[in-house]
Amino acid sequence: MAHFRRLVRRHLSTRLLSSWAFLLTVSLLLHVHAAASASELVIYSGRKESAIKPVVDLFERQTGIKVALKTGKTSGLANEMLQERGRPRADIFIATEAGVCEILAKEGLLEPYASPGARAMPAAHKSTRGLWTGISGRARVIIYNKNLVRESDIPNSIFGLTEAKWKGKVAIAGTRERTTLAWLSALLEVMGEAKAKAYIDKLLENGLKVLPDNSDVWRGVGSGEFAVGLTNSPNYHLALEAKLPVGVVYPDQGPAGMGVLVNPNAVAIVKGAKNLDQARRFVDFLLSKPSQELLVHHAFEIPLLPGIDPGLVRPLAGFRALQISQERLADLEDKTIALFPGL
Amino acid sequence: MVSSDVRRVELGGLGTLWRSQAAALGTPAAVGTALIILLTASPLVNLLASAFAGGSKVFAILANSSTLSLIARTVLLATLATLWAMILGLPPAWILTRTDLPGRRILQVIGVLPLAIPPYIGAFTYITLLGPVGWVNTTYRAMGAGGPIVNIYGLWGGALVLGLFTYPYILLIVGSALKGSDPALEEAARAAGLGPVGIFLRVTFPLLRPSLLAGALLVFLYALSDFGAVSLLRVNTFTTEIFHQLNTRFDQRNAAILSAILILLTAVVLIAQRKSLGRRSFVQRRSGTRPPTIYPLGRWKVPALCCSYLVLSGSVFLPIALLLYQTGSPLNLLHTLIAGHRYLWNSLWTATVAATVASGLGLFVAYLTQRRKGLAGLLLTSATQLGYAIPGTVLGLSLILLYNAYLPWIYGTAAMVILGYLLRFLPQAVQGSTAALVQVNPNLEEAARSLGRSPWQALREVTVPLIRPGIAAGWMLVFISSMKELAATLLLRPAGFDTLPVRIWIASIEVDYAVAAATSLILIAITALPLFLISRLDATVSQLD
Repeated sequence: MAHFRRLVRRHLSTRLLSSWAFLLTVSLLLHVHAAASASELVIYSGRKESAIKPVVDLFERQTGIKVALKTGKTSGLANEMLQERGRPRADIFIATEAGVCEILAKEGLLEPYASPGARAMPAAHKSTRGLWTGISGRARVIIYNKNLVRESDIPNSIFGLTEAKWKGKVAIAGTRERTTLAWLSALLEVMGEAKAKAYIDKLLENGLKVLPDNSDVWRGVGSGEFAVGLTNSPNYHLALEAKLPVGVVYPDQGPAGMGVLVNPNAVAIVKGAKNLDQARRFVDFLLSKPSQELLVHHAFEIPLLPGIDPGLVRPLAGFRALQISQERLADLEDKTIALFPGL
Repeated sequence: MVSSDVRRVELGGLGTLWRSQAAALGTPAAVGTALIILLTASPLVNLLASAFAGGSKVFAILANSSTLSLIARTVLLATLATLWAMILGLPPAWILTRTDLPGRRILQVIGVLPLAIPPYIGAFTYITLLGPVGWVNTTYRAMGAGGPIVNIYGLWGGALVLGLFTYPYILLIVGSALKGSDPALEEAARAAGLGPVGIFLRVTFPLLRPSLLAGALLVFLYALSDFGAVSLLRVNTFTTEIFHQLNTRFDQRNAAILSAILILLTAVVLIAQRKSLGRRSFVQRRSGTRPPTIYPLGRWKVPALCCSYLVLSGSVFLPIALLLYQTGSPLNLLHTLIAGHRYLWNSLWTATVAATVASGLGLFVAYLTQRRKGLAGLLLTSATQLGYAIPGTVLGLSLILLYNAYLPWIYGTAAMVILGYLLRFLPQAVQGSTAALVQVNPNLEEAARSLGRSPWQALREVTVPLIRPGIAAGWMLVFISSMKELAATLLLRPAGFDTLPVRIWIASIEVDYAVAAATSLILIAITALPLFLISRLDATVSQLD
């Protein structure tokens, strides 16, 4: 045993390791050129891989164009693009929140393209300058735990959540989630600064729990950590899929209600893209019926184009939406962040 | 002779220094030094440039009370985590090397395994167990009690998890220092009438101070720069705030300013550690082959065993059991392995290349700083220590800007990922070689040279064979850290190139816990392998300070 150990120590630790190291170092040289070649369409996608990969695969099969896909968080990829601006690497950027596209547009990082496929899309869900196009949407809804909230107590307005019975029972993702930021900006626009501030302060006094991200919200509500959550509509379906006891409310639908904010996912072409033609083809493809259906069904998103089957999801026509442009939301952003430091 | 020359010119400016070095190792040394400093310091310069681009804004942020409380919270977290890691690591280090605890050999091996488990996976384990709706609280409620009894979220939870998954640094370093120490001193103490406790407190422990400090330093610096675990556990620290500035506000300058403060903090800690060790030499390697004294545990055997297994349950068995449970079936594991073999390969070869290059550079830096002290050495050491300080995200963004602008043919290749590993973990390789070199008498090399060998030959034929274990230990530490690296990799990976940690991250975003768990198990298994080898080489690990 001792002899064996000595042997292992001597050979494994030095000779074997150094030849292993050598072998792999050599493979570095073979791999360096294996990075994305110029002819590949480079896509930076903030959409989940399971949602975007099937569409990309279909695109590759149908067009023969090779794609290099980098999935990450929308904001992280946007930061990367900001750093890469001198020599852009991505051709296409897919964002889970259109506000990020507005930020990149302000920095002059996007290339305008008005796809013929987007003609039928409501104006609120695409850039007025053609710098980005919505591909699907999410509604800002209330979800609740069916075991903790009685039928009669189900809130039908976000303003009901300041009542004492919800004390410490409501969760929301902080402004690190861009959809929360957009929602707050929308409140600011609709209610005015003073009223919006008063409302959020009341929520916070009522023990509103601010979580790092939306998945914390729907999982927290699903597991019973919280009774009610303010989050995005696909999360309701994700919770259902995970067999959690949740219900959903599209709040403030009455004639005087403000309606529900819809956040589009968006696609944009990067200024200075090396493969401009292929990038345009990809945008057209994303807006075509087969890929729209793939996108919408995989992730429970709301279709923004007419004629796309919404599946289990409530379609745009099924609720009253709050009307506000993404440009306006983007303009309000700094004010919103300054106004709600607690979120 | 050469070294005394250098000491004399220490104040004489760089020019003389270069000349004296050129006499010994020639221009390659000078060129190498310049290249390494360029490589490691360029992200820092870039960072500082963007931090100070705003002028007075820097000072406004520094004076901001929320920044001060952020500093306080981050330091508190790191301190708590370090104390906790000491509590977990120090007693077993002594028990496993100096007592007749049954099964201590296997315990020594398992004891270092937590290093193979990335703290973000550990955090996830403890959220599942101790979160507000974790298993413990759910069971407690099911028994009819009211609110939750434990809450893992927050500062204490962060410290708990960070300590649990970093204590092996202390166990490893202190443990092998204990193994290598000279029993003669303790025997003398016993002859003077001291009992085992007295011997430990008055002889053994004081001698352990440098290795304990070295281990504690690693834990402290890790806690300062960790992002994954603290963000999962909802502790607001510097790294999470930097992330917030970048990802919500797209404010790269604020992020740069905060990073600069973090780097300053790290520098203070490193200087303090060096000062506290002072000039005293603690080297007291075992002279013969005499093994250290082994104390019989007697009636303490059972409590000691229980404690050891308790620590291991918390840091190894529990997380792995949970991962196995979440994976579901072995078939699932196999399926993930087959579907993800590409990512495994990507992780393996990038980590290997990074570890190899880091070892080479580490040896170079260690040799220059040990054999030719002076300004260049100081610059080199400081430059290579930077990796400890820069958070992975910030390093990643800096590298993107620099390499995309100046070396675009490297950018967009896997070499960027390797570069990220290299810059973050180079200090570990430098320390591995430095610690081993300290033990080698320069006279040996001079003897070789007097026999007609060139400096290069003397280095290769005399010194390197003697310090090979130190280099190997450094290699493995870099390898292990690289295998687990996530923050910088996320930014630096070329499109279509994912590593194992990236896949774990993606799977957890997709709420595909089975795949996340299976991938984590694969990562842990692969990373554990070199850890076994480290515990074989442990005589040299003690020198990592």
